[in-house]
Amino acid sequence: MTGMPVPVGRPGLTRRRALTAALASGAAVLGGGALSGCGSAVAAGEPAVRLWDLFSGADGGLLNDMVHAARPDMRGTRIERTVLEWGTPYYTKLAMASAGGRGPDMAVAHMSRLAGYAPTGLLDPWDLDVLAEYGVTRDDFADAVWSRTQSEGRTYAIPLDTHPFIVFFHPEPAADAGLLAKDGTLDAEAFSSPDRFLAAGRELAKASGKQGIAFGYVTDTAQGWRLFYGLYRQTGGAFRLPAGGPAEVDEDRMAEVIAFMARLVDGRVNPKRLDYAAAIAAFANRQTAMILSGEWELGTFRAADKNVQAAPFPTVFGTPAVYADAHSFVLPHRPDPDRAQRRRTHQAAAALLKAGQIWATAGHIPAYRPVTRTKAYERLRPQAHYVQAQSHVVLDPAVWFAGAGSDFQNAMSQVLQQALLDGLAPDRAARAMVRRLNTFLSKPSPA
Amino acid sequence: MSSPHAAPRPGALSARRLLSPGLLFALPFLVLLAVFMLWPLGQGLWMSLTDTSLSAHAPSFIGLDNFTEALGDAEMWRALGHTVWFTALSTVPLVAVALGMALLVHTGLPGQWVWRLAFFAPYLLPVGVVSLLWIWLYQPDLGLYNNLLDAVGLGQVAWLSDESVAMSAIALTTLWWTVGFNFLLYLAALQSIPDHLYEAAAIDGAGAWRRLWSITLPQLSRITVVITVLQILASLKVFDQVYLITKGGPNNSTRPVVEYVYDVGFTGYRLGYASAISYIFFALVILASAAQYAALRRREK
Amino acid sequence: MTSTDLPVRSAPSPAPHVPGSVRALADRRRAPRPRAHLTLGDGRTARVLALAALAVMALVWLLPMAWALLTAFKSEQDASDPVHWFLPSHGFTLRGFSSVWERGDLPLWMLNSFLISAAVTVITVLVSAMAGYAFSRTLFAGRRWLFALTVAAVLVPPQILIVPWFQQMLSLGLLDTYAAVILPQTVAPVMVFILKKHFDSLPHELEEAARIDGAGHWRIFWSVLLPLSRPMLAAVSIFVFIGAWNNFLWPFISTSDPALMTLPVGITSVKDAYGIQYAQSMASAVLAALPLVVVFMFFQRHIVKSVSTTGLGGQ
Repeated sequence: MTGMPVPVGRPGLTRRRALTAALASGAAVLGGGALSGCGSAVAAGEPAVRLWDLFSGADGGLLNDMVHAARPDMRGTRIERTVLEWGTPYYTKLAMASAGGRGPDMAVAHMSRLAGYAPTGLLDPWDLDVLAEYGVTRDDFADAVWSRTQSEGRTYAIPLDTHPFIVFFHPEPAADAGLLAKDGTLDAEAFSSPDRFLAAGRELAKASGKQGIAFGYVTDTAQGWRLFYGLYRQTGGAFRLPAGGPAEVDEDRMAEVIAFMARLVDGRVNPKRLDYAAAIAAFANRQTAMILSGEWELGTFRAADKNVQAAPFPTVFGTPAVYADAHSFVLPHRPDPDRAQRRRTHQAAAALLKAGQIWATAGHIPAYRPVTRTKAYERLRPQAHYVQAQSHVVLDPAVWFAGAGSDFQNAMSQVLQQALLDGLAPDRAARAMVRRLNTFLSKPSPA
Repeated sequence: MSSPHAAPRPGALSARRLLSPGLLFALPFLVLLAVFMLWPLGQGLWMSLTDTSLSAHAPSFIGLDNFTEALGDAEMWRALGHTVWFTALSTVPLVAVALGMALLVHTGLPGQWVWRLAFFAPYLLPVGVVSLLWIWLYQPDLGLYNNLLDAVGLGQVAWLSDESVAMSAIALTTLWWTVGFNFLLYLAALQSIPDHLYEAAAIDGAGAWRRLWSITLPQLSRITVVITVLQILASLKVFDQVYLITKGGPNNSTRPVVEYVYDVGFTGYRLGYASAISYIFFALVILASAAQYAALRRREK
Repeated sequence: MTSTDLPVRSAPSPAPHVPGSVRALADRRRAPRPRAHLTLGDGRTARVLALAALAVMALVWLLPMAWALLTAFKSEQDASDPVHWFLPSHGFTLRGFSSVWERGDLPLWMLNSFLISAAVTVITVLVSAMAGYAFSRTLFAGRRWLFALTVAAVLVPPQILIVPWFQQMLSLGLLDTYAAVILPQTVAPVMVFILKKHFDSLPHELEEAARIDGAGHWRIFWSVLLPLSRPMLAAVSIFVFIGAWNNFLWPFISTSDPALMTLPVGITSVKDAYGIQYAQSMASAVLAALPLVVVFMFFQRHIVKSVSTTGLGGQ
């Protein structure tokens, strides 16, 4: 889920068939899309729905399991996965494929990116009636999540999950520090103001004998922004981004949040200069008692500590808000879509949603609520402890340039890194962020 | 130089002459040239005057706005700077190391086949392979180079994540990958130096160093200029290995201008603006070519 | 344009405006002779030193490939073991190779690369040879002007054309087809220039004789000049093929369907669902590198000659 370089390829399942077909038609080199239509043309027996996604590692394995689990729900159709590199390259390829009209049948996309896609004509809307036939309706999703799927009155995304930015902790030092409630969950009260949060960090450091709270952000293209934006929204400060600019934000509150973040990574109680991987390692090796991290690292942490616990990100600045993003299914644009194929695609999306219990084991909160309402889900620890984060999720601002893997997140994270690492004063950092925001706003929207 | 058969009849501009066999022979190439170079050049110029986008909306004419924006775009200048910096950083070793290799191999020492394989084989690797390989070589903790540095007691280097090192790491990869090409050009030039020059020097009692400085290197000066010129023009166009190894990072510190075109046009959907930047880059290439042409002309005299 | 103009990678590309006559020199190139006594003198020390320097350099240059091979034969577990980083503690295995091969996409990309490079080579060389013949041996209206245009076209870097090419293929509905990948690569003004120069250098006597026998332009071109030009055509073809085989930028832009990707694009764009697997990554790198390196081992002399003949763009 971080933009780490992941070599090696994995294609869909008809590659060998395509190879055979290509050998057979080897002479027809210039024959236009001799191979390009292989998704539908070659797989003669069982029609395939071609799915592009960006899940590698543990998530990638789980999606394979889901594809397998979804089979009984979609007899006669296969799902053919193509995994592409996470982040900007993925969204670039998706946009180019959609523009060319020969993209995959269905793709995974972050909902935070939708504002840059849906109004541009690169995506086609979902047909809710068809989805309802396969047992998926609007009521199956939380309002906060569903509202982001809409554009111009149509539904452009079907949410698969919410993946919030939360806190993980090792239960023993947290208990020794007196930060746990009776039922073993984190005592949110102990983190309910900047000073309390920092004090809790000191207690954790004392209890662990090493350091308190890890946060990896150095050279990362998103981490600084994830923490900042969640906290800023807790202050209740405005964050309005009218087209053309200027941004309407509260610079004092921004500076307040940046100052808190800088105090947090003080280099004594908590480590100061961790990059993403180093922070993961520090927490996994118990160099720190707690980590501020995306829930998607659950698998990694559980491998190191099978009792690892988690909680929604505490409300530090008064208003509950948890930074999150959501994976969703989208339909890349087709100039004249094949109706039967579109129907199969709706069926495949519905079938994958229903296999969401598997997805939950990775730590993601399934967006399809019939899954999270099951007994099986309630038994999942620590997932069930942070499922309520879903009701306060804050996604990136809904502007075309923001979202996962965007240049915007990177630019904001760079400024924050200067404040946290190189001592740029919080008020100047806030002004620098606003300046860069205004630069983004001044650029013409592609929509 | 042309055959008498095809000599034109004076003044006769007939249809027959327009469709002369010569034109028919050149036609396939000319059609390809027109369709895939001249037309795109024109279309690119037109697009640079519009706000053409990857998305569905219709483009509208915006005059020179894209160019005005580009000239005030700090990121574009930064990317142009990276391209020039990479060119400077890569050209010198790519010429010097190639010369060193060629001089050593040309001595005729045993194992010619092995030397040429070692130095030229990397050039035959597709850039995808080169980038996978070097990402792996540069890995912290697991990569070969950091392990070797550890083994000799030097600290690890954050090859690809330290802004001050990343561009040098890219240049190093490029050196390994493409030096073999220049090496072969040098080797061919060396083999054409007539033996009698050396024989005469030997009679005069010149030692190995003297022969190198007074015969070999002067004989190579011309090819050195040519190789340097070609290398500069090639380095200016860098994109592949940077994009595949660092994606222009960390913090865009290695992003060359060609990648900026790609980022602006395809990631940011702004094909019109990307076209304008393409033309600014084209101007840089033409400028470099013209400067070198002028320099060469002066040299020839 | 481009296949030939290897510039996407930062190696020199041919350019015709550069003076010099290395091509002629290269043609005269003989098999390597022992010239140590000429350049090094007869001293033993000098020879030993030179040999040592060569050996060290070759080692440095071979090391990355050796490291890739070593990793490719390790198990994933050993490949990511920072303690025993050099030799695997669980022995060598072929599993990396077998899992890469079984996925089936690598052979497909190889086939794509081969078909595309072959098509680019055939079209480019044929079209450029015909144009070279026209500019060298015939007269027609606008010939000088068109040749000047061709020479000027050499200066256009393909990198600046990716945006309009993309737009062009988009409006023709050709994105994600072989045609879109191949056609823009076949415009190679440099090759026209090289082949025109080459035809200029051939004597006229044979075609005069053929003409007396009543041969037309096509027969003279096809049956007289081309057979005379075999070494040159081979050199040019090898050069164009290597360029197309390794070309990245345009195939990367024009294809997003993994079934159509070429080798360099496929192995870097499509990822493994199971995450970073270094041994597999290196196994696929080794397999992807193999075809051209093996060809080089067998045809070293031809390839070396191709580079030194064509590499300077016909001087």
